[in-house]
Amino acid sequence: MLLRIAKREFVERLRDGRLHWAVGLVLVLLMTALFVGYSHQSEARAEQQVAQASEYRDWLRQDRRHPHDAAHQGMHAFKPGAAMAIVDPGINPYIGSTIWLQAHRQSEVKFNPAQDATGLQRFGNLSVGWILQVLGPLLVIVLGFNAFAGEREQGILRQTLSLGISPVRLLLGKAAALLACVGVLLIPAALAAAFAVTLGAGEGERMDALLRLSAWAAGYVLYLGIFVFLVLGVSAASSTSRMAITLLLALWIGQTVMAPRMLSEASRALSPTPTRLQFNQALNADLKATSDRMWQQTFGTTERWGKDVPLSKWGVALQMDDQSSYPVYDRHFGRLWDTWEGQQRLQEWSGLAFPILAMRAYSMGMAGTDFAHHRTFSTAAEAYRRRIQDLMSADLVKNADTGGERHFSYQASPDLWASVPPFSYRAPSASWALGHQARSLLVLLAGLSLSALFATFTTSRQRAL
Amino acid sequence: MRQEFKLLSAERSLWAVGLMFLLLIGYAVANGLAQTATRDRAQAAVWEADQSTRAAQRARLEAIRAGLATPLPFDNPADPSGMAGNYGGHHAVLPSAALGPVALGQSDLFPSQFRVTNQSRVGFMNPSDIENPWHLLSGHFDLAFVLVYLMPLLIFAVSYNLLSAERESGTLRLLLSQPLRLRTLLAGKLSVRAVVLLGPAVLLPVGVLLLARQAGLTGTGTAAGTTTMWWAFLVAAYALFWFALVVAVNAFGASSATNAMVLVIAWVLLVLVAPVLLNLAVTQVVPTPSRTELATRTRVLTAEAMKRHADLLATDYEHVGRGAALLPQDGKINISARALGNYAIQRELDDALRPQLERFDRQQQHQQELLGRVGMLSPAAVAFEGMTALAGTGARRHARFVAQTVDFHKTWKGFFYPLIDNRTALVPQDFDRVPAFSWQEEPPALVHRAAAIAVFQLLMPSLLLFGLAAWRLRRLCVS
Amino acid sequence: MLQATSLTKRYGTHTALDRLDLDIRPGDIYCLLGANGAGKTTTINLFLNFIEPSEGTVAINGVDVTRHPVASKQFVAYIPEQVTLYGTLSGLENLRFFAGLALGVELPRPRLLELMTQVGLDHGAVDKRVSGYSKGMRQKVWIAVALAKDAKALLLDEPTSGLDPHAADEFSGLLRRAADRGVAVLTTTHDLFHAQHTATRVGIMKRGVLVENLDSEAIRKTDLQALYLKHMRA
Repeated sequence: MLLRIAKREFVERLRDGRLHWAVGLVLVLLMTALFVGYSHQSEARAEQQVAQASEYRDWLRQDRRHPHDAAHQGMHAFKPGAAMAIVDPGINPYIGSTIWLQAHRQSEVKFNPAQDATGLQRFGNLSVGWILQVLGPLLVIVLGFNAFAGEREQGILRQTLSLGISPVRLLLGKAAALLACVGVLLIPAALAAAFAVTLGAGEGERMDALLRLSAWAAGYVLYLGIFVFLVLGVSAASSTSRMAITLLLALWIGQTVMAPRMLSEASRALSPTPTRLQFNQALNADLKATSDRMWQQTFGTTERWGKDVPLSKWGVALQMDDQSSYPVYDRHFGRLWDTWEGQQRLQEWSGLAFPILAMRAYSMGMAGTDFAHHRTFSTAAEAYRRRIQDLMSADLVKNADTGGERHFSYQASPDLWASVPPFSYRAPSASWALGHQARSLLVLLAGLSLSALFATFTTSRQRAL
Repeated sequence: MRQEFKLLSAERSLWAVGLMFLLLIGYAVANGLAQTATRDRAQAAVWEADQSTRAAQRARLEAIRAGLATPLPFDNPADPSGMAGNYGGHHAVLPSAALGPVALGQSDLFPSQFRVTNQSRVGFMNPSDIENPWHLLSGHFDLAFVLVYLMPLLIFAVSYNLLSAERESGTLRLLLSQPLRLRTLLAGKLSVRAVVLLGPAVLLPVGVLLLARQAGLTGTGTAAGTTTMWWAFLVAAYALFWFALVVAVNAFGASSATNAMVLVIAWVLLVLVAPVLLNLAVTQVVPTPSRTELATRTRVLTAEAMKRHADLLATDYEHVGRGAALLPQDGKINISARALGNYAIQRELDDALRPQLERFDRQQQHQQELLGRVGMLSPAAVAFEGMTALAGTGARRHARFVAQTVDFHKTWKGFFYPLIDNRTALVPQDFDRVPAFSWQEEPPALVHRAAAIAVFQLLMPSLLLFGLAAWRLRRLCVS
Repeated sequence: MLQATSLTKRYGTHTALDRLDLDIRPGDIYCLLGANGAGKTTTINLFLNFIEPSEGTVAINGVDVTRHPVASKQFVAYIPEQVTLYGTLSGLENLRFFAGLALGVELPRPRLLELMTQVGLDHGAVDKRVSGYSKGMRQKVWIAVALAKDAKALLLDEPTSGLDPHAADEFSGLLRRAADRGVAVLTTTHDLFHAQHTATRVGIMKRGVLVENLDSEAIRKTDLQALYLKHMRA
């Protein structure tokens, strides 16, 4: 029964041309986005691999020099491009992927692509994720707004209902047809995406990337499913097609174009991020206080590098300074990043009213281009930096500077450089990502249930005339 | 026209739309003001911090010269190498323009403050603001957003059935049987709607901005009045484009429902899709040079420079145990070899990287130029760029800020390098002569000319559409 | 089979139907006559649960329509005045779809063609798109659906309006054959000729009230037209 209804609806849309035009247009955009995403990604990935390799190679090839100099010059950590960034670049355009690992301070990312972007950046980036989040619902609206309202206007609905069909069956059949129409769009796109992602993924990442893609695609099925039921529900509740489409377009504009901005502004107002100045001042004050305490404890003075600290103890002093700063950095950056994750949590919950927010979070999360993933990279880079520092300081402690005034005269051998392993960061697995996205997934599921309930409610109470 | 106004005022939907528009604009303007005020406060705090640091350093110098305080190696205001570097660096700040609250634009993406030191530019000219990237991705709810995205929809809502409603209800025949030209009819209908929509779109923000300026909440700047006038023109030209599109669509004589559908599709293509595609096209044709490559090159050059000056770096701290070594003597000061080494390294790095960094600047300029030319394909892009340019949050003003910062950097280096080279100690009077960044605002003529070009780029397609409409209307089927 | 008891429908202060009592048995062909707005279509809509009664009950084969809207429709087939079909599908495809919905199983092509023959549709036309059909052809497709459903009751709203005399006659023949099989028929019409020659019972409605209720004896004896006009003029 259901299939019969679904098949007829699908065939009708096929024959009236809507499917061709609407789906065709979106499909063209999707393929363009995939192609562009793929070429960007492969370029960036190749570049990043070469750069990271050359960083380590040059580190190993350093001549004999003072370990602290080496620590000051440091190394760069380049964030490897996620294979799934092809379909959803997430926050990557707004956050950099290069961290400079240098002595004495925890660095944040150096450059971000947005600083080099044109003014049109604000309109959005063409990506598969953007198209599906913004244009996907519009497609569902265009294909389904008159599913009930149109039949009601023409008189077919009363004929159908007079046959003794349960309205809910009718709803499910029409929903299946709409989903099938959307599937005509999604399935080729998903296959193409799978192909692109597999090509773009590195060794050993392919399986993980495909798992991510499957979960990611499933999320979009949920998201578009919400709209399928919403559109059908509104169509059933509207007396005319015109009313249906006006209402649906207004809802679409509200949730797609307006809600993300309004909620971000609200978030900014409710829990503002500290300014750079405030953050630095707080951090520096904390660092100084901690450092002073440590120096007082160890050397009995807070005068740095003064007469109370013999040259032979400089290694110890450096080591102590570094070690005492680590918890301070963790505290301050941790607090900042926790605030951001809290803000994002709020946005995900508002996905109950505005599904696009939950979908955006989920899409970025499964693609590996959200802040949670970036945080793992930042943390790993910082852990590596600390490793380098500790190794250098330990060496200095062992080989305390000797000769009188000639500080920084000790030159370490290349064996020291070799004792530092290469920076190896593996992005978290698909299951980790899915675990982190439990909330947005839950919101999407809840949204689907709510909209299905809404559609069932309006369909069973709809007027036949 | 009075009839039309009466008819229209009876229609509740017009008032509903007008009211909604008013609310949206009100919220957007308030939001813009709040954000700009926050930004201004943050910048003022930075400025004050700089001033108080400088004052404290000056006081310390006086104390040191009076023998009341001992200098430390990293805390010595008499040492020009320290004052030129991180210890004494000063900020270059880009203040908000008078119309800033109107379009927040790129103000959170482009850095608006740099801490200038004698380091190479690549070290300090980076985004420094902290913001949750999710918010950066979402964008702003400012007036530019409401006008560029939402105003066209509201224009559609009140005028999509400009002619088709009259035709469908049969009154068009009756109207045209009077001595009334179709042109006059249309003009009358359009002007009423234009007034209802453009009134709040232009008057409300202008009013609010004037009030805010009186209350000292926003910057003044020269020629703010003329800039505001150009902004009003830009908004009117953008609205005119959409009205022209509505008239053209109506001229084809389709039903109201078809008109509405065509207009919405046009909105999706012109406002949502076209700018995104344009952005993509421009960045493909004129790609940004690689930052990764820049980072690697910086490191390699630094390593080479460090090797060249390894001797200087591997030296001593004479001051240990001998605080007097840090004191200025006869106007000269002993700069530690390591500091001199770092100075030399930064100087060489600065020179070596300059060509590459200039390439970045040139590439951005090319992108902007290309965008200016092809932007015409999307009125939304033209309007948005125009609004941000007038509000001072666009790419051109920012490029000017970058250029002025580079000049300031040169002046800064020009002041401190001779002092370092000659080991001249700083005296308190020097603090008055240390270069300070002073922002030179864009000449109003330049701003207004760019706005005029944008208005022209919006009027051209409008004229074409009106022409198309006129041609079709000749053959209009009245029933 | 088709029962209405004190069936009333009010819209605000306006009473569209006032305490209607109807009992249509299997084999009856009941013609409901009346001017526009008399309440004929309202009656049909109430039987089909397209609108809810303000008072009274309406039942099909003993099943209360308001309480069991879907179940009650099992027994009835409805033919509206304007039959609309899916324009992009062919006549046969429409029949297959709607018959499938009604019966729950898909009928094979031979059976569908048989039904088309029964209603008098040329086999050459059945595979063409419905957007090219005349009103009569569309009505025939829908009658085929009703036949496929093999319903125990038929509800028809102005079935002969817009049909030429030959087609109207064909249609009357169809109704008679159905009644002979034991189907209860309720039809609203303006067509007095059709009512006089086909109906086994006639009712005249005026402003929501059933003012005349004639059985077959009375129909044969009465000048229906005179009676009708008498009520309309009063």
